[in-house]
Amino acid sequence: MFSHNTQLQISDLICIRQQQPLFAPVSFNLRAGEGLLIEGPNGSGKSSLLRILCGLTTPDTGTVHWQGRDIQTVREDYVNALHYVGHQNGLKLGLTAEENLRLLSSCSPYTPFVYGNILQKQTRFLSAGQKRKLALSKLFMTPKPLWILDEPLTALDIDAQTEFLAKLDEHLQQGGMCIITSHHPLNFKHSNVTSLRLSPC
Amino acid sequence: MLKHIRFVFYTELLLLFRRSQEWLYPVGFFVIVVSLFPLAFTPDPVFLQKYVPGCIWIAAMLASLLSIGNSFASDIEDGHLEQLFLHQTPLSLILLAKLSAIWMATQLPLILLTPLLGVLFHLSLQTIIALALSLLFGTPLLTLIGSLCTALTLGLRQQGMLLGLLILPLLSPVLIFGVAIVQQSQAALPIVGPLAFLAGFSLLLISLLPWVIAATLRVGLDS
Repeated sequence: MFSHNTQLQISDLICIRQQQPLFAPVSFNLRAGEGLLIEGPNGSGKSSLLRILCGLTTPDTGTVHWQGRDIQTVREDYVNALHYVGHQNGLKLGLTAEENLRLLSSCSPYTPFVYGNILQKQTRFLSAGQKRKLALSKLFMTPKPLWILDEPLTALDIDAQTEFLAKLDEHLQQGGMCIITSHHPLNFKHSNVTSLRLSPC
Repeated sequence: MLKHIRFVFYTELLLLFRRSQEWLYPVGFFVIVVSLFPLAFTPDPVFLQKYVPGCIWIAAMLASLLSIGNSFASDIEDGHLEQLFLHQTPLSLILLAKLSAIWMATQLPLILLTPLLGVLFHLSLQTIIALALSLLFGTPLLTLIGSLCTALTLGLRQQGMLLGLLILPLLSPVLIFGVAIVQQSQAALPIVGPLAFLAGFSLLLISLLPWVIAATLRVGLDS
């Protein structure tokens, strides 16, 4: 489904907070169909690393290359290929679930991952798990090859976790890519997920 | 893309109207401040006709200060701004839609109330029209410059106080030209000149500031 030549190259990435490097230099190469699980204790810089990979934060040193070019120079292409679900859900609490979905999916026809009677409710009245599902729905509404997910399984119930991981597996098999942080063990039947442990300096 | 921008505009208006304090408080503040001036000076109609237009302008500026302060705060808090950065639609265009919605919700009610206040303070019809026109062309500047200063001070403590110090001096040209329009109309002089200047200034900033605010927000979030 996705192109087989997509490639994300990260070399010697360092993130400095309060004059201290958060983690030892990170380098890896991600190709179509591969997943990367980023592990590390709390405060080890997982979320900061993901923000750098999205282009939200400028790295202090090191480069992030998409298809061989720096993500800041091919920003538009990169953004078109990228889904980011961060620590926060990015939902507007005053809008209904359906309006939020339309806002996230740029009005394309959607097949949400969540369903039923919650669509007409204002998002502020939803539970944490329901909000998380809503935020994750955009992954399935607009197909994009690269997913960058920060703790996607938080607050999801067991069924939803299983369902989500199955969909993630399917995404990787179709030639997608994924960078994910999680404290849950990820066991995939078909796909290849390597893990990267952030080590403190 | 155009459809998405229209949808952003629509949802922003929807959000503002669902949180009615966002537009109701500034309107209430505006009316109260304007009605304090005759109490502090004198209720003499001749005096009021001369000075109330300026008071209305000052009240509109203060009311805009009240409403603009948290325009991006909620977007940052719930992570929506990050999603907007990573959206295919350029951030500047999304901001233009958002700011127009903010202007419609916070400034347009003030302009609509002005004729009523004008009648209350014995202003002539001609003055009321000039005042409403000056506000119509001037208030977009209040929203735009206010948003720029908000974007510049993101993440600072006691942002509200600093905002006043930053925004009000920057807005003084708007006040000068806005009040000049009313004074010229009261002196039976043509008002086209200052009106055109204010409109031109508004257009310039409408076309320029969304880009600047987008860049400022990008830098502000890069930490």
